[in-house]
Amino acid sequence: MEVDSKSISTQALEELSKELIQQRDLGITEEGERLIELQIGPTHPGSGHMRIRVWVDGDIIVRCDPDIGFVFRTIEKLSENRIYMKTIPLVERPSLLDTTPMTIGYINALEKLMGIEPPPRAKYLRTILAELTRIASHLYGIGIFAIFLGHSTGFMWGFGDRELFVELANQLSGARITYAYVIPGGVRRDMPQSFPDNVEKALRYFEKRLPDWYKMFLNNPVVEKRLREVGILRKNDAAKLGITGPNLRASGIEYDVRVADPYEAYDELDFMVPVADEGDAYARALVRFEEIKQSINIIRDALRKMPGGDIIHPQIARMFNPLMKKIYEESRRVKFPGVFASLKPPKGEATARVEAGRGEALFYLVSDGSPRPYRFRWTTPSYRNAILFKYLVPGHRLADLPAIYGSIDYFPPEADR
Amino acid sequence: MIQEILLLKELLGNNEMIYRTVIGLGYMLIYPGLIMIVIAAALLLWAERKIVALVQLRYGPLWISRRIGGALQGFADLIRFSFQEVIIPRRSDVIPFLLSPGLAILFSVLPIAFMPVSPYIKPPIHSDIGLLAAIAVISVAPIFIVLMGWASDNKFAFVGSLREALLIVSYEIPFIISILSMGVMFGSLDFYEIVERQSLLPGMLLNPFAFLASFIAMLRVTSRFPFEISEAETEIVAGPYTEYSGLMFGLSMGLAYIKLYVYALMVSLVFLGGWLPIVSGEGVIGGFLIPSLIVILKLTVVSLVAVFLRAVYGRYRIDQAIRIGWIHVFALSIVSLVWSIILVYGGWVRWA
Repeated sequence: MEVDSKSISTQALEELSKELIQQRDLGITEEGERLIELQIGPTHPGSGHMRIRVWVDGDIIVRCDPDIGFVFRTIEKLSENRIYMKTIPLVERPSLLDTTPMTIGYINALEKLMGIEPPPRAKYLRTILAELTRIASHLYGIGIFAIFLGHSTGFMWGFGDRELFVELANQLSGARITYAYVIPGGVRRDMPQSFPDNVEKALRYFEKRLPDWYKMFLNNPVVEKRLREVGILRKNDAAKLGITGPNLRASGIEYDVRVADPYEAYDELDFMVPVADEGDAYARALVRFEEIKQSINIIRDALRKMPGGDIIHPQIARMFNPLMKKIYEESRRVKFPGVFASLKPPKGEATARVEAGRGEALFYLVSDGSPRPYRFRWTTPSYRNAILFKYLVPGHRLADLPAIYGSIDYFPPEADR
Repeated sequence: MIQEILLLKELLGNNEMIYRTVIGLGYMLIYPGLIMIVIAAALLLWAERKIVALVQLRYGPLWISRRIGGALQGFADLIRFSFQEVIIPRRSDVIPFLLSPGLAILFSVLPIAFMPVSPYIKPPIHSDIGLLAAIAVISVAPIFIVLMGWASDNKFAFVGSLREALLIVSYEIPFIISILSMGVMFGSLDFYEIVERQSLLPGMLLNPFAFLASFIAMLRVTSRFPFEISEAETEIVAGPYTEYSGLMFGLSMGLAYIKLYVYALMVSLVFLGGWLPIVSGEGVIGGFLIPSLIVILKLTVVSLVAVFLRAVYGRYRIDQAIRIGWIHVFALSIVSLVWSIILVYGGWVRWA
């Protein structure tokens, strides 16, 4: 083929000029010295692997581009090759600090497909574990946030106090982080006798610690100075960008799936949805603390209103063999009947929404009648909040990037799935 | 005059020159100079970690020398640093890269030569402008920190050293003004006269503004929280020290503690009355050891307060820190100067 050298050169010129125009728009001089591109990450800049590409003009960030996908684990595709039961631990893995709400969402979708509803006691137990996880997740987020600001006490306290709730979850479910507690039709085991007392003890201790937290972290003049008026997310921007969770509520929009579309026992429990109007990093931290307080209320209320009875749907309990029945009656533990191995929900599709620690998570499950899901779609809150980097960071100083990153409580594995 | 010193004098054949050299070397290298500083820095590091751990509900250093609460941790770290490989980046400017940590430490320790710790044994250079000279010498040290970052050829080190340069300028000036305002008030720049004139009231009560301003400035100059901005770990790795390893890293990390020791010594002499309440003592024990231990005690209190702040505060953003430096601390130092002038010319303080 004959090559027209002239046309190529004009093409190249055009491309070059386009590039130059683009550079000029970014404020780069012809020497290319005005802006510096910084790569923050991808080796663990915060709470997981992601890269943040930042263009700075001096100390001011001009453009910020979150580069996600470094911990993409093909959860949705993996689940299509597994039986339904094996996807329960799978959905826990990406959002490792916030596992129960995710399993609840998946199981809710599955239960909708199967057409069963768990007994009330199971619902309450699920709710309690979800709230314990929410507190633990918020404390983790605040700890990471604190160390981003150089506040090592917040970091240590966050991780130390989180231990309380991790330990409580351990007592309830038998695991510290990945509980796989929620199963179709109920929960894996009943709470131990001493559990309500231990919860009360832990909550009382933590409530005594909360004033210290406020004194040391939220009302700390240095922390306030770093966070106020930083990374302001306006109400209409938050709605337009589809932000979710505490970040949305810190911008003044009162939206919580637990209230808007109640699942499990949330419609029977007393709690408020904390909202702040400022929309800055400080408001986001504040909303997380207020949510912890509300979660404490929820746990107390749920323990008070805890109904008796079964923890597994009678339809499933019917399939227990005598040994399973004995174990269930003696120690209130559910052994999986054989039907779980070849669980075949009828053809159809179902969606479920939950309010996870970082925001709303959506689960969409399609069954074709086989033992494996035809399609499993899962949208996580971190994925929806990732866009904030692009809109909140520009115009701030480089040292504000950690503050904004910490304040949106972004967790890369959860976003990448 | 006590026997020991006489004995030493006799031993050296009563040669004043050799005697002063030996005493001077001992003063600079052993106590309260280099070796004491290294010991103090290691212990201070341990104390800092222990105090912060107390606030953060954990143990802190524990396993090395368990019986005394891990107090030897600092020395263990020092030994580890000394035997680690020193890696010199290929693109670094080798000579400044290797020399600057040592020089920074040298200029941080040198002010000891002007600063007395006791009425009996005088510092090697006993000058009537000792205060000014000590400040002048120690303000050379940051230049080498900037040089470290420049010689490393590393983005983070460079950013860190630029931050250091910016912040040092905005905090050393208030420090110098507030310390010198004490000189104005005491009518002298001689440490001996300054200490003597605090026998009724310590300097921090005579001029609290100067004390506050110089304490805040000291926090920044020695890289304490909330001004630990040039080494901000979550932002720029280790700032100017990013490329250093092994002993060089140990030196550059210890630098902040060495500076803290020297600055705290200056603060305890000028504001806390030095070796007072002891006015003058006899001999090595009464005239040197006990007064110097009192000085060390005051110095320790000052530096413990400084390191404790790590548990309380996060770090400021650099623009906020500079604004605080130039608006609040600088204004405070000017106020302290005016206060001193008012006190002197109003006849409130009168020195014989």
